[in-house]
Formats: sequence, structure tokens, C-alpha cells
Amino acid sequence: MKRKQMLAFGLTIAMAASLLAGCGGEKKDKEKEEGGIKEFTAFFAVPGTEINDDNEIQEKIAEITGAKCKETWLTGQTAEEAVGTMIAGGEYPDFIDGGDAMEQLYEAGALVPLDDYIDDYPNIKEYYTEEEWDKLRKDDGHIYWIQQFGNIYGEEKATTHNDEAFWIQARVLEWAGYPEVKTMDQYFDLIEAYQEANPTMEDGTENIPYTILCDDWRYFCLENAPMFLDGYPNDGCVMVDTDKLQVMDYNTSPTAVKYFQKLNEEYKKGIIDPESFTQTYDEYIAKLSTGRVLGMIDQWWDFAYSVNDSLKQQGLNDQGCDYIPLPITIEEGMKNQWHNSGSVLNVASGLAITTDCDDVEGALQFINDLLGQEVHDLRYWGVEGVDYDVDENGEYYRTEEMRTQASDTAYKASHLCTYSYFPQYSGTSRDGINAMSPQNQPREFFDGLNDDVKKCFEAYGAETYVDMLGTSEAPGPWYPLYSFSGTLTTSTPGGMAWTKMGEVKHEYLPKVVMAEDFDQAWDDYMKVYEDCNPQAFLDEMQAELERRIEEHEKYE
Amino acid sequence: MTSAAKRRKKENVMDPVPKITWKEIKRQKVLLLWSVVIVIYGIIFCYLPLGGWIMAFQDYKPKDGLFHSAFIGLENFKFLFSDATFLRVIRNTLAMGVINLASTFVMAIVFAILLNEVKAKGGKKVVQTISYLPHFLSWIVVTGILHDVLSGTGIVNEILMRLNILDQPLNFFAHPKFFWPIVAFANVWKETGWNAIIYLSAITAIDPSLYEAASMDGAGRWAKIKHVTLPGIKPTIMILLLMNVGNVLNAGFEIQYLLGNGLVQSVSQTIDIYVLKWGISQGNYALGTAAGIFKSLVSIVLIVIANQIAKRHGEERLF
Amino acid sequence: MKKKSTADKVFVVLNTIFMIVFVTITLYPVLNTLAISLNDGTDALRGGIYLLPRKWTLKNYITILQKDNLITGAYITVLRTIIGTMLALFSNAILAFIVSRKRFLFKRSLSLFWVITMYVNGGMIPVFLLYKNLGLTNSFMVYVIPGMLSAFNMLVIRTYMNGIPDSLEESAQLDGAGYTTIFLKIISPLCKPVYATVALFVAVGQWNSWFDAMLYNRMSPEFTTLQYELMKLLSSVTNQGSSAEAMKNAIGTVTPTSVRAAATILTMLPIICLYPFLQRYFVTGLTIGGVKE
Repeated sequence: MKRKQMLAFGLTIAMAASLLAGCGGEKKDKEKEEGGIKEFTAFFAVPGTEINDDNEIQEKIAEITGAKCKETWLTGQTAEEAVGTMIAGGEYPDFIDGGDAMEQLYEAGALVPLDDYIDDYPNIKEYYTEEEWDKLRKDDGHIYWIQQFGNIYGEEKATTHNDEAFWIQARVLEWAGYPEVKTMDQYFDLIEAYQEANPTMEDGTENIPYTILCDDWRYFCLENAPMFLDGYPNDGCVMVDTDKLQVMDYNTSPTAVKYFQKLNEEYKKGIIDPESFTQTYDEYIAKLSTGRVLGMIDQWWDFAYSVNDSLKQQGLNDQGCDYIPLPITIEEGMKNQWHNSGSVLNVASGLAITTDCDDVEGALQFINDLLGQEVHDLRYWGVEGVDYDVDENGEYYRTEEMRTQASDTAYKASHLCTYSYFPQYSGTSRDGINAMSPQNQPREFFDGLNDDVKKCFEAYGAETYVDMLGTSEAPGPWYPLYSFSGTLTTSTPGGMAWTKMGEVKHEYLPKVVMAEDFDQAWDDYMKVYEDCNPQAFLDEMQAELERRIEEHEKYE
Repeated sequence: MTSAAKRRKKENVMDPVPKITWKEIKRQKVLLLWSVVIVIYGIIFCYLPLGGWIMAFQDYKPKDGLFHSAFIGLENFKFLFSDATFLRVIRNTLAMGVINLASTFVMAIVFAILLNEVKAKGGKKVVQTISYLPHFLSWIVVTGILHDVLSGTGIVNEILMRLNILDQPLNFFAHPKFFWPIVAFANVWKETGWNAIIYLSAITAIDPSLYEAASMDGAGRWAKIKHVTLPGIKPTIMILLLMNVGNVLNAGFEIQYLLGNGLVQSVSQTIDIYVLKWGISQGNYALGTAAGIFKSLVSIVLIVIANQIAKRHGEERLF
Repeated sequence: MKKKSTADKVFVVLNTIFMIVFVTITLYPVLNTLAISLNDGTDALRGGIYLLPRKWTLKNYITILQKDNLITGAYITVLRTIIGTMLALFSNAILAFIVSRKRFLFKRSLSLFWVITMYVNGGMIPVFLLYKNLGLTNSFMVYVIPGMLSAFNMLVIRTYMNGIPDSLEESAQLDGAGYTTIFLKIISPLCKPVYATVALFVAVGQWNSWFDAMLYNRMSPEFTTLQYELMKLLSSVTNQGSSAEAMKNAIGTVTPTSVRAAATILTMLPIICLYPFLQRYFVTGLTIGGVKE
């Protein structure tokens, strides 16, 4: 009996001990100093690529700046969940961009106010104008984060149109002799005519004349075209009448009716891909990658990076399968605003320093150093002689090999370090010659263009994608309003309406397009839509519009 | 009925738990000592976090935490139950839960029994190894393949058109009526082999002499399955059934999210998707917690009822 | 009974057909994943790959194997699988043993105590706070301690133990054996099939889990797990970026579909290797009949 009792007792102790074993978990020093190099930590509540610990450019930057930063990214959670647990646990990295959950971090008092420091760091100070810094102020008057993107240094070097457009394959334009395509009706007429003359590709695969991506949040490819068709820029959620300074709903405009009626007609004619509303994003990308799809609405970044590679690999650009944006409006003679020039300041999020950071000055110095030209070049161009070469005029260029290398996943992890969620510039380098990053370097851009696109640009007298559309200045100090609608939550009537409108549109717009009887379907849709109380949403947007204009007037 | 099953039934009905006396406590002190450790463990890791349920009655703000957020009573529950969408979402969850439960459950048992009847040892091993592999595929892989198979040019449409059942391809994902069956099929496809493992291990516990005796009596395969195998694994079936009854509201999240689209959202959204959409992605954790409490309560009520039914029929039960 | 009846023959034929159909259907997604994992990523974007790769490459596997921290991750994963499985098996077996004793005073209440835990949970944030206060965050223990006991596994073992005749326990007690001896020497040897089952469940769970690594050990790369590293790689190549910035970050020569496929295959391999060892416990059938009646 004794032995058995001993055994039982022993096991109990072992179990209890194993329970307690974790309790000694040592608290870790976050800012390690290794050989005089400060090590910061950062968390970005967006998916991203983690780089290797011994990344080469990261080491180089560390030599120059005396600091480096271990970045971690969102994995398998929403930004709100990740930030929510962080706040509950009360432990933060040194740097943070909470993405959609930025507001929560501010409310939790997790962020260090930066306004008292900014003046001491010339590169940071220079990053925004006084007015822009003030836009970043929260209601307590302090600045907590620095929006990293959309900041143009010097002259803008826009080559690609990164945003939304009606796209069409170069082969369609070539076949029709590069006509002027200005309205939605002309666009679909052209597609219909081409499809009738050429129902298949060279290898016999049937064309898909027009497809619509409608997967989850990506259904903007279906729903927000009326805004652009009426000649308004991408405020994302409403149109703003620049004379009356009044927000307008693009969902119920006469143009919306015309647009969806057109889609309905084209659907009945078999021009629109019947799988439009059920395809997933992956399937959509697969379709575009086969070169079968003649046209669609999308944002460039949503399809081009993966699709263009695939088309090129198969040699489909020789058949003219690359996509060209067209300046389309609902009526002829309207000004289109598919492309806007200039910086866009999204005040809803940015890079912040947390209260857990023991060395705020050091952290700001790091941001400041990252904005210096030498380090900025390292971040976006890489190492001279390895990732790019310089010609006798001081112009940077890359060989085909360098370009391929730069897109290799493993190479990116071991060599390149862009610190992509730290403040950065686009536009022109401080040397006045080069672009801040390779994508915007005109020579890089042209070297990378396929022949079908070059031919097309030539025919229209354009040099870049942007030239195809023309460009206009940001319409007013309120732009873009999506930086406000993105922060709405269901705790306000307007936010509630906004969420419900999204649900209704998701279900009813496909039904409207597929309906036998368009008018009936549209009426049904409008009835449900009105039940969402869109006015509450518009009222909140109007209030924000007025607030932003008022803020701006202080500077005039 | 076999003697084993008979005996089991008798034991369950009798349950001779003695009265609590010092003598009995002394006799069972080893068991009791262990129980105490286990209960302490359970309280810490399973029951202590339930303190978080307070959140459901609060206007929870991460900055204030659990201890300083304002109490708002039943507001969160009111929000849920006054929303027509939530009621529809409950219906979807229940429907898919029940359909999935029934289909995966039956298929796993059928598969385990039939596999047990495969007499070639090698064949049996190979089949089993293959059968549980889909369990390791993530939903995104499985739904991707499903989309392929059911697409306009996919194999299913091809077959249906060859057989002249359809004259043009059917877009299965555009019709709400197909959604629940597709989800059920996907679950069966992915989990049958995996779920069958438990039954296969239960089958091994059946006394081989029972099969021999049945053979002596001239029983064929069907008879042996019916009178030996099934009664032999009945306790396992009962336990799993009882457990799963409590899980019908956990009909899933990922698969519906990945297979759903605007056209079928009225039948595809489950409670979990709803919570993500209206709660978490809006920074409203309290709503998610309220929905979680609702699910827990329903589950507990369901298993208590199921357990009582099992008890009345003298079957294996949970507690 | 050597001679088979016609009904039996029909049964065997039908059963064989059923198994062939079943295997074909279940094998397809696996082979499809394998094919995609061996196919060039950009090429795979076009779709249309079924059983064989169209454009062979090992690039997807190489990309994964080049991932930083993979060795640490693999080491921690193996460790947590072994320790976690042993701890879980041991504690669930003890719990099942206790509640399957016919005379145990609190068998009903203790069972109920655990059954309830299957259907309630406090949510992510309270659990996080608890682990943090117990010092489990930023430690290895968070992988093996919290999930040690599970009602599901306990019930599976209990059901099996209930089927073991009481006469064994009674005769051992007459010989003067205590509960510890009965558990270790008499009941456990008979429970090998069910122990193998539960061990498989726990091991697979441990092997595949990554969420705990992310949630509790985000700041401790020395406790990263294999699956977490794979998830990070996946989400970095996934086109789930909701902005131009995120998409620019995601671009590489591999695509999410093909990397995911390769990761899936790599994850499956060890499990496929482990399975035959456990399989003999529940396919061949363990003769415990001798002691049953």
C-alpha cells in the first residue's frame, strides 16, 4: 500500500508542478542592444511578409542608423481581434499600426503623443505640411500616428493607374483600330462587336466578354461604378457636389439605374459571365490569367500583379491580352475622375509608437533616418550594383535579371528590407533625377512594358496608363471621404445603416443584373434599400464633410 | 441481443453508487485525491475564464477592460434578438448543424462497419490511410476543389449534361436550395474517414467469439453486422451522438464563409459569421460574447434533454 | 462455415465497389493538392490542373524550406507533440478511469463538470488574460498545459473502459490491489486501442495547431511552431491584401494556392508516417475477448 500511495502522491506532485512550471516565465526585455544596435519591435495589423533575421539590407540600414526593427504581421485574425487581445494583455511592441483597429489603440491610451517631438526630427517634420499634421490630430489635440502612404516628394511620377477603371484587352482595341471609347454604351458595343467577330482566342478557347468580381468586400467591382460614371472621384462611399458641398448617394442616382440596366441587358445577351456573382477571387484571377476575359471593372492592384505575370509567362501578351484602362463616363463630354493626382492622406491609420516603448526618441530617430535619401534608396531600390545600376547621368536602372531577382520570394526575405509600413515617399528622389521607387521610374516602366501595351499607348498618344485616363487634382480638402466611412461602427445609426446597406447591395445587385424583369427587380431592391435608412448614413457623411471643410478654412 | 450488450444495459440501469460514508471515502481516497487535482485544474482552465461572460452585459471597451466597462444589462441580447437577420442566422445554423450531424455521423458509422468487413488486410490498411487524408486539407483547399468540380465546365455539370438531365450548365452556387446540401457533402467528404477512426477502434473491442458464435448459428454478413457489430459499438455511437447534439449550433464558419456569396447569403450565414460581421469586425466583443452565451445555453439544454432520454432508455450517457 | 453464400458474395462485391468509389473520391482532393504543389505557381493560376502537374517545379517546396525559423519551429512542434500527447493521454486516462469506476462517489458530478466544459468558453480575451496571469504566455507550457484534459477524449476512453468487465477489478481488489495498480496493470493494457485513438487525436491537434503560438508567443520567436511559420508564409503570399500597399508586399514568384498546397503536403507527411504505427491497434483488432467473459 505504501508504495502505491507514494506513487499516487508523486504523480500528483508532478502534475501540480507541471501546472506551475509556466509561472516562472521570465519577462523579456524588448529593446535589446546588440553590439550597439538598438532593436525595436513592430506589429502591423495587416497581412505582410516577415523577413529573415539576418536580412542583408536590414543589417546595412542598422549600420547606418544604429537601429533595426523586428516586424510581425497579422496572421489568421482580424485586426480588431489581434489588437483587442493586445490591449487586454496590456503588452505592446514599440511600433504599431493597428489598421482597422487604430481607434481602439488610441482609446486604450496605448499610444504616445508625438506632436511635442516632431519638431526635433527634420525628416519627419518635413514629411507633412502643417495642415496635414493638424489633420492627423485626434480630438484631444495630439498627433498619435503618422500615415505612411500616399506621400509624394517633389514631382509626381505616376506611371500606372493604381485605381479603378473599366479595363479592356489591348487586342479588342487593336481589332477595332484603336477607337475613342468614352461612354459605357460605346464600351459594351465594342466588346459585343469584337465578341461577335472573334468568339474564341487563337487556341480556340472561348472568350468571356465581361466578368464581374463580386467576392466579399471586393464587390466594389460591381457596385461603385455609378460614382465614377457620373464623373466623381473615388470618395468610396458617396459623391460630393463640389458647388453645393453636399454629399449624394450614388446608389440611387439615375446613372445607377442606367448602369445596372445596361448590365442587365448585357447579361441577357450573354455578354456578362454567368458565373460573375458566384466566383471567388481565386477563380476570377484564374479566368483573367487565361486571357479569356475581354473586359471588367477593377482596381489595378487587385488583379494586375498576379495576372500580368501569368499572361506574360504564357506569351499571351503577343495576342494582346494585356489590360488597358478607358476613360469612361455615362454621357459623352463629361470630365472623368478615375485618376486623381497628388498625395492622398488617409488619417484613419498610420504608424504609432506605443507606451511600452522605452526609447521614444530612439524610435523617432529611426523613423527619421528611414526617410533619409540614402536609407530610402536602400529600402526601395536596394544595394547599388546588386539590385540596380547607375548610368553616367546618375539615373538608376535595373537589368532583367535584377528585376526577376527582386520578385523572388526567398530573395525578398533574405536580402530586401523595405520596412514597408514605415513612412515612405513616392514621387521624385532628392537627387531630382530618379523616382523614389523602381515602379515609378519612367525607364523602368517602359522597359517592363509589353509590346501590345506599347502599341496601344502609341495609338492613343499616351505614354503611361495615367495618360489613357487623364488626371485631375483632388477635388477638395475633404477628399477622400472613405477615410471616414471606414471608421464607422454599428454604434451609430449611420454606421448601422452603412453596414446594412452593404448587406442588401451584396444580395440584391446580382439579382437586379440577373433579373428577367429589370424594373420589378430594381423596385424590390429600392424598397429593401430604403429600409436600411441610408439617410442616417448620408447625414453622418455630410457632417464629416462640413467638419473637414471647416478645418481647412483655418489655413486660408 | 448479445450478452455483452445485455450486461451493459443492466449495469447502466443499476448504477450501484454507494452512499457517502467515511469508510467509502477512505476506500476511494486515491480516486478522490486525483479528482481534487483534476477539479482544481478544470476550475482554473475551463471555468475561471467564464468570468469573461460579464462582458456580454457590458458596453465593453478594450481600454476599460472587464473591470471598468459600463454595465448595460441585456442590451446586447436585445440587439441580437430584435434583429431579423439574427433569427434567420439561427435557422441557418440549426439547419446546417442538423444536416451535417446526421450525414457525417451516419457516413462514418457505415464506412467503419463496411471497412471492417474488408477481409484483405493490406486493402483495409490502404483504404483507411487514404480515407482520413482529406481531414488534413484546409477548408480553403476543399472549397477550391468544390468550386472546380461544380463549376459550369466542371465534371458534375458535364455528367449531368451527358445524361441529358440538364440541357445547359447549372450554376450550383447561385441557388440557395443547393447550399445546405453542398455544405453537408463537403463535410462528409472531408471528415468521414477521420470520424470513422473512433468506431474502428470500438469495433476492435468486440469479442471475436461473438462472431464465431454467430457464424455457428448460420448468420450471414448482414446478420453479423446487425447483431454483433452494431450492438458492440452502440455505446460509442450513443456517446458521440449525445456529444454532437450539443454541437449543432457549431455548424461552422469557414466553409460557409468560403462557399457563400451575395446570392445565397440568406441561407449561408451562420451565427459565427454574424458575430464576426456585427461584433468583432466592429470592435464589439460584447456582442460575440452574448452570442457565445446563447450558444452555450442552447447546447447545455440540448444535451441535458438528450441525456435524460438516453437515461430513460438505459443507454450509455454523458453524465 | 467455409462456403460462402450467394448473399455474402454479393456483399463482398458491393462492398469492394463501395470502397473503390470511396477511395477515388477521397483521394482526388489529395492528389489534386499534390499536383498543384508540384506545379509552377503562376501557371497554376490559370486553373485546369487535376491529377498531374502541367509545369513541374519544386519551387514551392523550396520556398517553404527556405523560410527562416523553420528549424526552431519544427523542433518546438515535435516537442509539443510528444510532451503534449503524453500528458494529455495520461491525464485523460486517469480521469476516464476515475469516472468509470462503478463505486466512485462523485462519478456523475465529475462527468457533468467536464461535459459542461465542452460547450462553454469565456472567449479569447479572458482566456488570454488568464494565461498571462498564470505566466503561460511567452512560454512553452502554453502548448501542453491548457489543453491537457478534454471532455471529448475523456468520454471516448470512458466508454471503452465501461465495456471492460467489473469482474477484473473485483478480483484484483480481492488480491489486495489498490486503484493505482488496477489502473496501471489491469485496465490500461486492455485500453491500447482507445489510447491509440486518443493519442492520434491529440497528436494531430498538437501537430497542426498554430493559433496558440501566434496568440501567446508572438513576441517569443524561440517558441514558434512549424505550423505558425507556415501560416505566416501563407498569409504573406496570400492576395488577401485589402490595399495597394498590401498587394505590393505580397508579390512574389510563388502564389498562395501553390504554396498552400506544398505546405499541406509537407504537413501531411509526418502524420502519414505516424499512422501505420498506431493503425495496428485498431485495424487488426486486439483480442481482449479472452478476458471479457
